[in-house]
Amino acid sequence: MTLAPARAGRQVITALIDEVTVESIATEAWIALVGEDEVLVPLAGDLPAETLSAWVDVVGPWTGSVVLTTGRQTAADLTRALLREAAPELLDHEDVVDAFGEIANVVGGNVKASLPGPSTLGLPQVGAAPAVRNPEDVCRLGVLWRGQPLVVSVQGALPPLPSPHTPNENPHQNGASL
Amino acid sequence: MRALVIDDSRAMRRIVSAALEGFGYETRQAGHGREALDVLQEGYGPDLCTIDWNMPVMDGLQFVSAVRANPAWRTVTLMMVTSESEQSQIVRALAAGAHEYVIKPFTADALRDKLALLGMLPQEAVL
Repeated sequence: MTLAPARAGRQVITALIDEVTVESIATEAWIALVGEDEVLVPLAGDLPAETLSAWVDVVGPWTGSVVLTTGRQTAADLTRALLREAAPELLDHEDVVDAFGEIANVVGGNVKASLPGPSTLGLPQVGAAPAVRNPEDVCRLGVLWRGQPLVVSVQGALPPLPSPHTPNENPHQNGASL
Repeated sequence: MRALVIDDSRAMRRIVSAALEGFGYETRQAGHGREALDVLQEGYGPDLCTIDWNMPVMDGLQFVSAVRANPAWRTVTLMMVTSESEQSQIVRALAAGAHEYVIKPFTADALRDKLALLGMLPQEAVL
């Protein structure tokens, strides 16, 4: 595995975790939660127009979110797979929020354990995915579940660091040094 | 044997309850630590509590501390079942009084093995 070099002061996620690790975590979660026969195929697919995201926030030496995004119908199918015989005939939104959020919680908790700590894990949230603040601080894994696309994105919450000053650059307009 | 399954996710409560019922437990459920304390105060005497860590209202660590502070509940076995898998968190939970720690995701077999280690498998599940 090849991890990106760290920048001074703050490491981006690609220096801390790679897609193979994220895939391993997601696969283990799928087998335990969704079903022993449920396979995640590591192939990226195009997400449909109507998507739903579930995520947990991680706050620590690396701060960001672990976000699962898939089509709304796939999120409902995941909910039925989790609830099995306890699934109601008609799922309501709360059922999907609960089940999809719990999958994000399990994947996020294990991603957090792979990162430098100590860190805290937030409660699961479901809705429109948080915005990517720094495209360099994203580890993105595309998979197919039952042929439907799903994305696991481990994405930083902080904007990019400003470019370092060049050696002869002086922030004081009068040229005085401190 | 009786178990109280404490988790804010209904789906996860169902998964844990189904596994425990498969081992011969009778189960009740609570959505957070405060609700679980209310169940204990009602007089429901579980042999085992399975406890998620991150929950609204009262988290799992606060629940463990509250149970351990009450001598009337000293015989209850407390098992964390959580996605919090940092070593430092495991140490905190055990120091607060949890007996065992199961990291999500888990299989029913892994849960059974942990219960067997604690001597908490109902007789029919041992046979």
